[in-house]
Amino acid sequence: MSLPGKHRVPPEVSPSPSPASGRSRLKPALGGGNRNGTDEPARSVAPAGELWLAIHLPNYILESLWQSAAAASEAAAGADTGHVVVVDPGRGGKVVCACGVTATAAGVAPGMALNSALALLPDARVLARDSRRERTLLETVAMMALDFTPRVNLDPPDGVLLEVRGSLRLFGGVRPLCARVGERLRARGLAPRIALTPTRLASLWFARSGIEVVLRRPEALAGRLAALPLACTRWPERSLRSLATMGVRAVGDCLRLPRDGFTRRFELQMRLDLDRALGHAPDPRAAFVPGERFAARRDLEPELADTARLQRACEPLLDELCAFLQTRGASVESLELRFLHRDAPPTRLRLRFAEPVMAVVRIAALLRERLARAEWPEPVRSVRLRSGPLSEARAQAGDLFAPDRRRASAVPQLVERLRARLGDEAVHGLCLVPEHRPEAAWEKEEIGDILLFQKTGKGECPLFPLFPGQRPVWLLAEPQRLDGEEQPHYQGALELEEGPERIESGWWDGRDVRRDYYVARTPAGARVWIFRERRTPGGWFLHGVFG
Amino acid sequence: MNGAVSRQCEGLGPLSPIPHPLSPSSLDDLLRHPGLWRAREQGGAALQPGLPTGFASLDRCLPGAGWPLQGLVEILTDRNGIGELSLLMPVLARLCGGEHEDGWLAWISPPHQPYAPALAACGIDLRRVLVIRGQAAEWAMEQALRSGACSAVLGWAACRDRLSLRRLQLAAEQSRCLAVLFRRLRDGSEPSPAVLRIALDGDRDGLEVRILKSRGGHAMSVRLGWASFATRAIAQ
Repeated sequence: MSLPGKHRVPPEVSPSPSPASGRSRLKPALGGGNRNGTDEPARSVAPAGELWLAIHLPNYILESLWQSAAAASEAAAGADTGHVVVVDPGRGGKVVCACGVTATAAGVAPGMALNSALALLPDARVLARDSRRERTLLETVAMMALDFTPRVNLDPPDGVLLEVRGSLRLFGGVRPLCARVGERLRARGLAPRIALTPTRLASLWFARSGIEVVLRRPEALAGRLAALPLACTRWPERSLRSLATMGVRAVGDCLRLPRDGFTRRFELQMRLDLDRALGHAPDPRAAFVPGERFAARRDLEPELADTARLQRACEPLLDELCAFLQTRGASVESLELRFLHRDAPPTRLRLRFAEPVMAVVRIAALLRERLARAEWPEPVRSVRLRSGPLSEARAQAGDLFAPDRRRASAVPQLVERLRARLGDEAVHGLCLVPEHRPEAAWEKEEIGDILLFQKTGKGECPLFPLFPGQRPVWLLAEPQRLDGEEQPHYQGALELEEGPERIESGWWDGRDVRRDYYVARTPAGARVWIFRERRTPGGWFLHGVFG
Repeated sequence: MNGAVSRQCEGLGPLSPIPHPLSPSSLDDLLRHPGLWRAREQGGAALQPGLPTGFASLDRCLPGAGWPLQGLVEILTDRNGIGELSLLMPVLARLCGGEHEDGWLAWISPPHQPYAPALAACGIDLRRVLVIRGQAAEWAMEQALRSGACSAVLGWAACRDRLSLRRLQLAAEQSRCLAVLFRRLRDGSEPSPAVLRIALDGDRDGLEVRILKSRGGHAMSVRLGWASFATRAIAQ
């Protein structure tokens, strides 16, 4: 973006504590065209109509610790959390970085030495801050945000941004939507600050300042932002201090400063932030992409060894998984369940589906088959569920006039059920291979591939000339040696009907053959496919049976 | 078997009302009586037309003029290779196309590997073939029948107990697909709920097809010469 005042004479940043707003100025101010008296109105580059809802979690450090600890013993937590004092183990663990309500009332504040805090509140519970949990908390909030809109950004460590323009109609307008988001978060025990404006940064700044505004018009932004203290921008401490010495304490003061002077004296980022907050500069951010896999665990109390009960114990995990898939519009092809025992190594169950699934009923049905087959060395004390890679869910569009499509959908389920009981290798399809050696002219084909080909219409059978001679319907896995030198015997003396058909060579993969094939008939009337080995030591072999 | 067979006995009560023993209306009343069981109407509905076997002489012997689509077909043979699959190939090829396009052919614990080039040469769409191996052949067959995914299910299973046979027969009746169970000749002496039981025996001249049991039809025997198989192969 071109700077409006780039080619002008660099003016001085006015050191006066309060630049007079009524004074006529020639220099362009940072506020751009949104302020009266400016000759160069800045063009708004924010995509028209975007509305950003910012969720700010002022107490995220404490909340991240409660989320895991308090879930187990909620009642105890209610009484306990007020006394909590959190320290950052990364910085020596001597400084308080967050504290509960009771602790605050007792005079404990973030930044205080731990010893001072303990002196003020002797029965404080000291906890260590956990950045991983903080991240998890933020992702949990973002996950919940995905229920409202698909466009979600994270603003670590404590902010989540939602673009809600497209969701307004569904949720009945701006205020009901904000209320819904707030309700959902409060139900999880969080204390969010929510603000909604046309730009990301403005929303964040309002939320951080604790001002829960709902602002839909971009023109009103500059006026409302002006009152915010600069602390909400989270600019570097040094810059904020030097701004403060100039008497610049609010965003509005900043906007009144001359643009190029501000750019020269402070970090480029700061000017960019101001532009972004006002919607004058684009603010691209990486979209929040939810985790690639699902993992969850459940501890069993008491330990279980009964299959039916284990199935029931796994069901909440499956429900969670399906909710997870639903949010992402995804499906899974495989799952892994690990059953932990007290001493024995964990039992692993892999569930593979013939096609990507997202329905809990199907997963549960397959799990039942697998659990029935599993053997338990010891009772199970804990179950862990981990999904395989996710794939995009494809909804099958119904067809009003087409005949019954039940069959097409029934095959994958049949294959899954069979595989669950008989093993993965037990079910396969067939395909042709352009090869002259009989045993190499076919291959097992994965059912999933066949289904995929059928859906996409690709994968026609390879076209190649059919063999001149007849081929038997049954092929023996290994040629079976027959008695007899000149006259082969199989269930009696064989009578040669057709042949010979010579099939030879295969030096390229080390399975060279030199054979003369015949169609022969046994005295009982069965037709068989035999060959005479032309390499030493020779002899007759049975290779197939005509069914 | 086309007459009415009365199962009336002391426990069933009188066949009333019968105004006149010989009036036609009384005969209709008589035939509607629930105590009467007519062999021809077994299974309730009228006989469903079957799938043409591809062998005219065999079609003539079967009540639905072809393989029955509702119920289990048992083929009893002790030897592989005497033509037990050649007998089915025409109907299997037909089940792969046309109105049966969506259906799969399930081969459940076959004695050897079904050879893809031969199946393709017979006109079977290989993308519809499902080969299933494993111990629980009866279970797998029942699953395949009940799934509704298949247009033909071929199973090779001993089926030692009558209960599993009965389950297969029920599953086959409810599915609209060709259900063929291959068993040994000696099993022919045991009773079976299958709708059609065929014993196969071959020699150097042709295939002897003995119909042991055929619901709605008669037990009879028909001989298919190897020539008829050969002409079929040429026609394709």
